[in-house]
Amino acid sequence: MTSMLVQDLHKTYKGALEPSLKGLSFSFPEGSIVGLLGPNGAGKTTTISILCGLVKADAGQVQIFDQAQNTANREAIKKLIGVVPQQIALFPHLTAIENLEYFGNLYGLKGKPLRSLIDQYLQAFGLEKAGHKQVHHYSGGMKRRTNIIAAILHQPRLLILDEPTAGVDVQSRTMILQFLREYNQQGVSIVYTSHLLDEAQTICSEVVIIDEGKAVVQGGTAELIARHDDCRNLEDVFLHYTGHALRD
Amino acid sequence: MLRLLATIRKEWLLLLRDRTGLTLLFAMPVVLITVMALIEDAPFRDYQELKFDILTVDNDGGRLGKYIKEGLGQTSQFRVIDSVHGAPVTEQQARALVNEGNYQICIIIPKGATGAIVSNANRIVNDISRRMGMPDVLPVGNRKDSLHVTVYFDPASKKAFKSAIHQALDNFLTQVETDMLLERIKKQLKRKDVAEENDSMNIQLKAVGLKEQLTGPSEELDVISNSVQHNVPAWSIFAMFFIVIPIAGNMIREREDGSMLRMKLIPGSYLAILAGKMLFFVGVCVVQFYLMMQVGIYLLPLLGLPQLTLGQSFLAAFVVAVGIGLAATSYGILVGTVFKTPNQALNFGAISIVILSAIGGIWIPLEIMPPHMQLIGHLSPLSWGLDAINDIYLRNVGVSHIWGDVGKLVVFATVLLCIAATIEKRRLS
Repeated sequence: MTSMLVQDLHKTYKGALEPSLKGLSFSFPEGSIVGLLGPNGAGKTTTISILCGLVKADAGQVQIFDQAQNTANREAIKKLIGVVPQQIALFPHLTAIENLEYFGNLYGLKGKPLRSLIDQYLQAFGLEKAGHKQVHHYSGGMKRRTNIIAAILHQPRLLILDEPTAGVDVQSRTMILQFLREYNQQGVSIVYTSHLLDEAQTICSEVVIIDEGKAVVQGGTAELIARHDDCRNLEDVFLHYTGHALRD
Repeated sequence: MLRLLATIRKEWLLLLRDRTGLTLLFAMPVVLITVMALIEDAPFRDYQELKFDILTVDNDGGRLGKYIKEGLGQTSQFRVIDSVHGAPVTEQQARALVNEGNYQICIIIPKGATGAIVSNANRIVNDISRRMGMPDVLPVGNRKDSLHVTVYFDPASKKAFKSAIHQALDNFLTQVETDMLLERIKKQLKRKDVAEENDSMNIQLKAVGLKEQLTGPSEELDVISNSVQHNVPAWSIFAMFFIVIPIAGNMIREREDGSMLRMKLIPGSYLAILAGKMLFFVGVCVVQFYLMMQVGIYLLPLLGLPQLTLGQSFLAAFVVAVGIGLAATSYGILVGTVFKTPNQALNFGAISIVILSAIGGIWIPLEIMPPHMQLIGHLSPLSWGLDAINDIYLRNVGVSHIWGDVGKLVVFATVLLCIAATIEKRRLS
């Protein structure tokens, strides 16, 4: 089963001079960790917004676990996916536990099952002692880890992460990446966007490189590196396909 | 229901930890209401309630001067001053003092004024006696020109004040002239019936008097519009509308930090979350309202102001408070949806509320505004809330009488929420 199928996706925002997506297509099987990579303005955020059902595509098709992303399936698909936004989407003046209880409640979780789930994840992310501290007292890494927990409380089958390790120290980054690997081994598909290509090379089984609203290449990470003699790592592959021109 | 309750709990925890927000929502309105009620107390008092110093120069030294001074002194309105630094005040001195603004008014009673009144009364009585075949024996003076009691006002005095003083003095003059006339008539009649021992003739002039009654359904309350009765409800409504700023800031922050995005990604209606947020802030508005009423009932009387009188329908007041809360909260949601930064929302929110309150009769009652401003003022949601509260507190009406204003507040809230929803949909597309 494919966990995600994107076919010929088009999107132009009202008032925009250029389309954001110009026939984007890619797919990947269930259980993989896919890196959605691209320079600034390539269309990654628009793609994620369409995948989540927040933004409607002008044309094209999206399927999540064989369910078309449309009005009828939107709520069902929301249950299948967890999204870790780039921002720390938490209430800074609530404690981590209060934040997680709130988002858990929104998912329909409550009582002891929710509390034990929260305790389990806080422990997994090394936050068990800081659960009662308000989030604004946290370090960048602690906030990022809590941000991830808030997206997986409902145990999604597909986890989408938008630069989950931006601005964190090496220890937090290692812990996050380790957790994602283990989480993936439990059968959860992961879509991951980052500008840290060495990190993507380490964690992703497949990558899709997007530029100017289209997928320029998709394949296994190792396979893509091996495909070109002049490429020694994923960063070389990325530059090979997207060029050296600045995208301001 | 879980989403709704969880959102109320979340907002409650956030408010408890936001000391600035708590101060803005509860402490500032208490200070505002107290200050406004105190400074607007004087303009709200009727002239009968205020005490003015009146300089009097009595060049007559007769009954008229005595009568005017006693009459003015007996009212709670005036304090008669006839000497400055221990010496009787002169006409020139009095004029200078009023012109410099030390006193608002001075009265000059001309020499011979009492004599002129007595002479005029005698002339009338003699005329009547002659027509009745009786001898005209009362002495009459030869003076042909009329005398005037002169009044000088501080140049800064308001027209209404001058008019009130004129009327009061006119009443005194009429009263003195009438009394003297009656006295002369009695004297003449007594002279005629000299054989009769019974001298208890009593002439009563006032056959028809004035009696003030209440218009409301109950006679238990006798409320007059005063500074407290206007300012406490008015500035409470103003403070309740200031909830726009925390709500708008709250929404913009949630949008900026991505938590709103997270809420929208979670299955289930975002409307339940929004409803929870609204319910919480409407609750805050209602608590604000009752806190302000407590200020009017317990705190302001300690500062020498009248006590706030509530109407008899507590349910009606509660319904209006909820209506105002709904309108204010919806306005906050709209401002939070339209503007992109907390600064923009803060500036627009604060200024727009000040404008809506100014035209809506919060600062000064709508009734004393020009007709075209009254027309505009009735479009302000703050005026609907104030009208309803005034109806309950001053006219003592119940729930059945306030549906019109509450209905307008609810329609206003619904329209703003629809506009906010449309803008949010457009933003996503």
